[in-house]
Parts: sequence; C-alpha cells; structure tokens
Amino acid sequence: MSSSKIMNKKDIGKLLSQWSEEFVILVPSKEGDTTKMAKWDGKDTGFIDRSRNTTQPSKANFFPPMEKMFSFQKDKEGYHIELASSDKHKQLLFAIRPCDANALAILDVAFKDGYEDPYYLSQRKDTLLVGLGCINPYDSCFCTSLGSSPFDLTNVDIMFTDSGEEFFIEEVTEAGKELVAKTEGLREASKVDEAKASKVKEASYNRVTRKIDTRDIDKKLLACFENEDYWEKVSAKCISCGICTFLCPTCYCFDINDELVRKQGTRFRSWDSCAFPIYTEMPMENPRPEKWRRVRQKVCHKFEFFPMNFGVVACTGCGRCIRLCPVNWDITQTIESMPAII
Amino acid sequence: MTVTDISQRKRFFANGNVYLPHIAVIEKIIDETPGVKTFHFNFKDEKLRKEFGFQSGQFAEYSIFGVGEAPFCISSSPTRRDHLEFAVQQVGKVTNALHRLGAGAEIGFRGPYGNGFPLEILQGKNLVFVGGGIGLAPLRSLIWNAIDNRDKYENIDIIYGARSPHDLCFKYDLDAWDKDKTINIVTTIDKEDKSWAGRVGFVPEVVEEVAPSASNAVAIVCGPPIMIRFTFPVLAKVGFAPEQMITTLEKRMKCGIGKCGRCNIGNLYVCRDGPVFTYAQIKNFVSSEY
Repeated sequence: MSSSKIMNKKDIGKLLSQWSEEFVILVPSKEGDTTKMAKWDGKDTGFIDRSRNTTQPSKANFFPPMEKMFSFQKDKEGYHIELASSDKHKQLLFAIRPCDANALAILDVAFKDGYEDPYYLSQRKDTLLVGLGCINPYDSCFCTSLGSSPFDLTNVDIMFTDSGEEFFIEEVTEAGKELVAKTEGLREASKVDEAKASKVKEASYNRVTRKIDTRDIDKKLLACFENEDYWEKVSAKCISCGICTFLCPTCYCFDINDELVRKQGTRFRSWDSCAFPIYTEMPMENPRPEKWRRVRQKVCHKFEFFPMNFGVVACTGCGRCIRLCPVNWDITQTIESMPAII
Repeated sequence: MTVTDISQRKRFFANGNVYLPHIAVIEKIIDETPGVKTFHFNFKDEKLRKEFGFQSGQFAEYSIFGVGEAPFCISSSPTRRDHLEFAVQQVGKVTNALHRLGAGAEIGFRGPYGNGFPLEILQGKNLVFVGGGIGLAPLRSLIWNAIDNRDKYENIDIIYGARSPHDLCFKYDLDAWDKDKTINIVTTIDKEDKSWAGRVGFVPEVVEEVAPSASNAVAIVCGPPIMIRFTFPVLAKVGFAPEQMITTLEKRMKCGIGKCGRCNIGNLYVCRDGPVFTYAQIKNFVSSEY
C-alpha cells in the first residue's frame, strides 16, 4: 500500500511549474468551443475547475489527427527520403481521465502488436500520466460497465482526487512514486483525508448511471452478425459523419497520403474512419458499401474483433460517441437492444 | 514456408521504420493487356538487391512519390532472383501514375508483407490453380516456384480465364506452360470471340467441366471476387474440402501491417493475417465481405 499525499488546490500552478523543469506539461486546454490536452502555458490553471473530460481524447497527443511521416525530394541522383525529425523530451499529461488513460493502454497494444509503429511509440515513450478522477461524470459516461470507474488507477502513474479545497494524491507506479518523492509542497495524507477522498470517489461512482451488460457480448455479437434487420435498425439514424470514431479514444484507423509542393514532397498519415464508404472502397468492389455494415464493423471491432485478437474490449465507456453524435446515435442502446442468444 | 512469424518479415525495413520505402528502379515494362502492365524492377541499394527475400503470395506497398502508395503482390518467383516483378491494372490514382512511368523511373517499395502461400502444405500435393484476369499474378509466382522445384510437387493443373483473348495476362507464361508436358493447362474466355479457337465459358463453369480430382490436391484460387465466390462452391461440388481450397484476397489497404484498419474480415486483417487464406478460415465469417 503506497502512501498518499495532500496539497492545496490553489498551489497547482506551483506544482506544475516544479514539474515543468523536468517535463513538458500537457493540461486540458480550451480551443474555441472544444477542449484538448495541450502544452501548459505556465500560468493558466482554470482547467482544474473544468471538472469534465476534454472533447478531444488524449490519443491525439500520441497519434495526431495529421502527422508528417517523412519528406522526399528528387535530384539528379534520384529520390531521397528524410525522416520527420522528432524533438525528444519527457512529457507529463496532467489531469488525464482514467478512461483516456485506459484507452492509451489499448492503443499501446494495437501499435506494438506485430509490427511496431515507430511514430506512435516514440511519442508515447517517456510519458507520465497524472490522472484526475471525475467528480462530475457525464450522463453519457458508462465506464463502470467496462470494469473501470471515475477513479480507476489501472493505467495512470499518479492519481489526483479533487476533494474540495485539496487534492488527494495517490502514487500508483514506480515512476509516479519517484516523481511524488521529489515534489516539494506536498504533505502526508491522514486517515481523515483518505476517508474524505473515498467519499468523493464513491459519490462519483454512483453518479455513473448509464449501464451496459457486457457479459457474453462477443458471443451475442457473433450470433447476430448476419442479422441484417437488427443492424439496419440500430444504424438507421447514423449519418456516417465519422465523429464518433475521430473522437473515440481507442479508434486508430488511419490513411496515408502524399503531398507535393514545389518539388518538396511529404508523406502524411491522418485519422480515417470506418464510417466512410470510401474507407474500404476498391475500384471494382466495396465490401462495406451499406451503412449498416459500417456500423456493424465499428461495434464488432470494439466488442468482438479486438477482444478476439488482444483479450480486451476496445471501449472505455468515455461516452464521447454518445454525447458528441449529431443525431444521438447511442452505442449503449445498440448493445442493449442486441438480440439475446436463442 | 508460410511467413506466419511476423519477425521474419521485418528483415528488410528501411532504418527499422516499417513505413519507410526503399527506392527501386523500373527496369522493364511489359504491356500485358490494354489495361495491365508488368513492371520489372530492382532495388537501388546493391546490398538489399542481394539480400532481399520473399515468399510466393507476399505483397508490398509500392509508391509513386507525390501520388501515393498502393499494394500489389510480387508476381515473380522467389526462385528467379535476377529482378522482381509486379503487375498493375490501371484503375485508380496510383495505378494510373504507374502506367505513365517508363523504364528508369524510381518508385518506392516497402515489404514484403503478408503470409504467402503455405508451401509446407502444398509440397507433395497435386496443385490445381484457378485464375481469372490479373488474378494470375500471385499464382504465377507460385507456379514458377513449383516448376523450379518440380520434384516437390505432384500434378500441376491450371485453369485460367479472362473476359476476352485480349484480356489474357502473361501470355508468354501461358505459352510456356502449354509447352510443358508436366503441366495441364486449360485457358478460357468468357464470351465467343472471332480470334479465339479455344474454350469458352466462365471460370467456375469450366472448373465444373474439367472437374479436377480432389484426391491429395489443393486448389489455389485467385481472380475477381465474384469469380472466387462462384468457384468455391464448384470446387466443393467436385470434392474439395474447405481446407483444400486456398485463395489470396484483395482489399483496400494502406499500412500493409494490420494497423490502419480497413482490410479486415472479422478479426483477421488481410494484409497481416493473409492475404492467403484457406476457405475454411473465411467461410464462416462475413460471407458477403470477402
């Protein structure tokens, strides 16, 4: 049992300044109407009052919406390829939510499997995740149905709990312990602090009321795989806009494209989505031209195929695909209305 | 051997980065049909030229810099190491750009990817090749491979068809195999044509007429998806079990390594777990999506 610490919430700026001597600090930041994890400006600590998760999941910090893979140019001797330079530095994500930290663990598996993805893995290296538990989950959140919770410690190095005036701080990993040990301005948590934090956690846990039943979900999906009526019904209102996949913390589909500007070429990769018909379109054929097939692919990839390959469901219950869908498509309804196995 | 161990496929990565292409030079271009060309190429790097290895049935991502990448199988045989080959039907952005290239042009190449044909299963068997159109490209790699190791295989039967006589690819191969007394080859075209004195009929129909024996045999099928779909039931009818039918599938692909997501059939990625599958592997899955 590791010891816990306490700090006054208003000292968060000092704490981050301390940490920024060693790390590049990323915090939940506003950009227009949306929020995402971005480099801390060294001043603003308004994010601690924004008690809800960011619009954009933190996958974007390791697997950006658009990323330069390499550049190429031609001279008399032919083509030359040059790798995109990456500035290596230690980084710390502060106030990442447990669901998004869990999502990174899922992406780690996908990007490490078989062939290692050098772009994702080099971004992910030397990254510390400091979690901030959710005291105010959205109605669309359903993490507790996926073995997680608003204060899940599984994939963070350090966890912060907002217990009113103070942060209750738990060290989770060795790296987290090391950082806490050399951090100034923290005091040992007492039994009272611990009890207070537990109360906050419990109240928050009970605030996650949306539930899905994930028992035998892979078997159920397999059984209704060819049930076109069901898939037609649950995909009826989808407009194939792809926002649920772009903002899903575990979706990692991508496209690769070239750009040529005045003989200077660049190869990029960018987010792609199984919601788009063109995603699978070939000149003579398209295996998923109908919307219901694409919705089926999305649901099955998360709850059947990914678990078959890696033993873990590729959904963390963050609820973004529900609250950010323009037509109120709801994955929990899709799962709950799945025909029972006869 | 089937390259099921992915670490075996990583030997030829440029700088250890799976997405970086090697530079290759087009040495020769053959017009197969009005819309299909075969490209002979070699790596610019001499060391790689000597060391590069692959298995019949594996593919690669080829790029035209500034236009993009597309996947094609390596259509030459690993037993013939003078150069590598791939065949391209002109259908989209990258293939159009490829068709405009001349000898001496440089392209990008990353690979080989995919599992290749399971030689360990095929050796000692009667091989029945069923091909349609440009679908002969991966088969010819294996056919030449088997011919160059003739004593390791029993009978070789080839049933190959195209829409018209003009659409028959690799005519120089068809002639060579026709002359080879150890091979039975049947060539067919879909519809009657004045310039064609041979057999007429769709490939699945011809397979039914020829009715190759399933005894100690494996059928290797590649062609347009519709041909593959109609050929499996016919092969089943003449006695082939699902484990005795092999195909190599085509999907839209970008990464080639099972990450970008689009080429899956169920939990399998055609690029990483295939492109070679037995019918037994895919028949229960997404029957309409292969």
